[in-house]
Amino acid sequence: MKDKKIGGIVSHNLLIAVLCVIWLIPIVWLVCMSFSAAPNMNTSTFFPTEWSAKYYVQLFHSDTVNQFKAWFMNTFKIAIFTCIICTCFTLMVAYATSFGKFKARKPLMNVAVMLNLFPGVLTMIAVYFTLRTFNLTNSHIGLILVYSASSGLGYLICKGFFDTVPRALCEAARLDGCNEARIFAQIVIPTSRPIIVYTIISSFLTPWMDFVFAKMILNAGISENYTVAVGLYKMLDKSLINSYFTIFCCGGILVSVPIAILFFIMQKFYVEGITAGAVKG
Amino acid sequence: MKNAGSAVAGFFAAIGHFFGDFFTAIAKGDWAVKLTLLIWGAGYARRKQYVKAIVLTALEVGVICFSVFFASQYVPKFGTLGTVVMEQQLNMQTLKMEFNDYDHSFLILLFSLFSFVVWLIAAVVWIRSVTGAYRLQLDAEAGRHINTFKDDVHDYLGDKFYVTLLTLPIIGIVVFTVIPILLLIFVAFTNYDQQHMPPSALFTWVGFTNFKSLFSSGGMTVTFGYAFVRVLGWTLVWAFFATFTTYFGGILMSLLLNSKKTRAPRLWRTLLVITIAVPQFVSLLLVRNFFSNGGIVNTICARIGLTGWLRSMGLISTSYIPFLTAPGWAHVMIILINIWIGVPYQMLIATGILMNLPADQLESARVDGANKFQTFRYITMPYMLQVTAPTLVTDFVKNINNFNVIYLLTDGVYTTTNQLMANSQAKEVDLLVTWLFNLTQNYYNYKMAAVIGIMVFIVCAVFTLVAFNFLIRGDKEGVYQ
Repeated sequence: MKDKKIGGIVSHNLLIAVLCVIWLIPIVWLVCMSFSAAPNMNTSTFFPTEWSAKYYVQLFHSDTVNQFKAWFMNTFKIAIFTCIICTCFTLMVAYATSFGKFKARKPLMNVAVMLNLFPGVLTMIAVYFTLRTFNLTNSHIGLILVYSASSGLGYLICKGFFDTVPRALCEAARLDGCNEARIFAQIVIPTSRPIIVYTIISSFLTPWMDFVFAKMILNAGISENYTVAVGLYKMLDKSLINSYFTIFCCGGILVSVPIAILFFIMQKFYVEGITAGAVKG
Repeated sequence: MKNAGSAVAGFFAAIGHFFGDFFTAIAKGDWAVKLTLLIWGAGYARRKQYVKAIVLTALEVGVICFSVFFASQYVPKFGTLGTVVMEQQLNMQTLKMEFNDYDHSFLILLFSLFSFVVWLIAAVVWIRSVTGAYRLQLDAEAGRHINTFKDDVHDYLGDKFYVTLLTLPIIGIVVFTVIPILLLIFVAFTNYDQQHMPPSALFTWVGFTNFKSLFSSGGMTVTFGYAFVRVLGWTLVWAFFATFTTYFGGILMSLLLNSKKTRAPRLWRTLLVITIAVPQFVSLLLVRNFFSNGGIVNTICARIGLTGWLRSMGLISTSYIPFLTAPGWAHVMIILINIWIGVPYQMLIATGILMNLPADQLESARVDGANKFQTFRYITMPYMLQVTAPTLVTDFVKNINNFNVIYLLTDGVYTTTNQLMANSQAKEVDLLVTWLFNLTQNYYNYKMAAVIGIMVFIVCAVFTLVAFNFLIRGDKEGVYQ
């Protein structure tokens, strides 16, 4: 009886281990490849034949194709601005729709649901026309606007959280003569720390994770203005892949490490936010 | 549909109310209210709300200047989208080549649209200032308190705080989402493409021609109808499999990890989450090279004899396995790779929800002698479905528009051999959105892209409406407050 139980536990954990190995193979390959001594992709063996870290050094020596330092700083700059605007907009809309009592509230929320059905890529093309008219394509301002201007539409998760803030607390504050602005700033914001952290991190990550919009806006520009995503993508062009594949892997790892750290901080809040939003409808 | 019906009815009732107030104000208002029709600030100035009066009048002047100096250049040409083609002429005075005063169809379309939006907003402000002035009159006649400017500011931080909060985000949404969507809809009715590119050429209205060419499939040159059916079919198949494989995969994996038998569940979970912490453009581009025709997986498959075996079975005719380059293979691989990317996400969500699963239900099921499968079938799944039904619907819509996975895996790798697909610049593995993206980025076929865009919206909207009406009944918002 006891043997059977132990056997069950062992096979159970073995199954999980096998799954994890399958899931990690490409990541392990990425790490191995970045330490390869050859610039091109090794197609004959899984592990590189010679090991070296020299391409990490080369990553920071800019050439005509590789401008990793500039790309990193561009993305960082864009991410900071996007993060500030997005967080403000999302919190503002979420508070207004959760706590506001006005007639247009429900219609506005319905309109938001409808607008969300137009995929971002779709409106993107029209936005691109518009930005080109004002000469904002191939510029970072254009990209920041694209990431953050419509961020008010992504208020739902945050609203779901605000809905759980005890209303009695706000009523009491109101009786004490607090106006809405102070309730927002001094009661709701401090009690909603998890969702605010979540909003900040997720909006900060958008420019790092995004590829489509950056490619569309920056595609025709000069290499120095690219974000990390566009730059790394261009490295894998058919004519460049043989001399830049290892550098691509190095760049990929260096970008992934900070993102992964932020992601792990966020995932706890992510789950809370999603489940709270889902349950509250 | 009842919800939607009442929402529409409520909407029209509100509009009726809005105009009703306006006409009452004009009929019963004093001279100041009537003057407000002409000078927006008049009614407020009479009640000593000078700041408001000045702001409104300045706004009025602004709108008039906008109409006279800006909109008048574009709106009159909206019907034709311009008639004067760009030409170079020799200026006799300076003896230099100069451009004539040509029309730019796209600017006419864009700025006309912009003017319409501005005028719509101006009309609302105008009507509201009249009704507002009338309300002030009533207040004054009844001897009620009339707000000073300080009171107004106070109001916008108090009862009307939502106005303060919503203004900026809504402007952002109007400029960067609403106007582009309208623009897109208009472009679908024009012949804006590579042959009609402003500024060197004009484009014009063509009615429903583009829609017709999307639904007609005949001839060898224009094959949009042929391609559309196939791309739409694959989009729906993809969205279905992508949503459900990751959803159930996520639930199963989270049950597996959260089982009492698991040793070090946190370690395992962290390992799995690493795959989604890596940005998609890194992981997907990597996987694409991992499975490329001359890639490492193909080398290994050839070495262990899998490639030869498949060849002898007649499943492949090449010396490699075309993981991402042949139809069928590519479709299956894309769904499998999506499982790799999507399951950890769903696992995180499922873990969060399953933690709230009422323990007493599980306990009573165990006491009643239910086995594991029965517990899963009758307790875990219904609970999960009830909680996650809305996310399931939004996930499906998100997958219809899942640009990243398809584009990063197949762009520049997959080339179609089907001439009929190639004629309309589509590929077998394209989703509607990637097709649309390629049409605009590489072929400048904006008119067809716009039509496809509208189709995507219709597909998503119909699906969402149906799903929400059948799956999720009632409005639960109030219950939890």
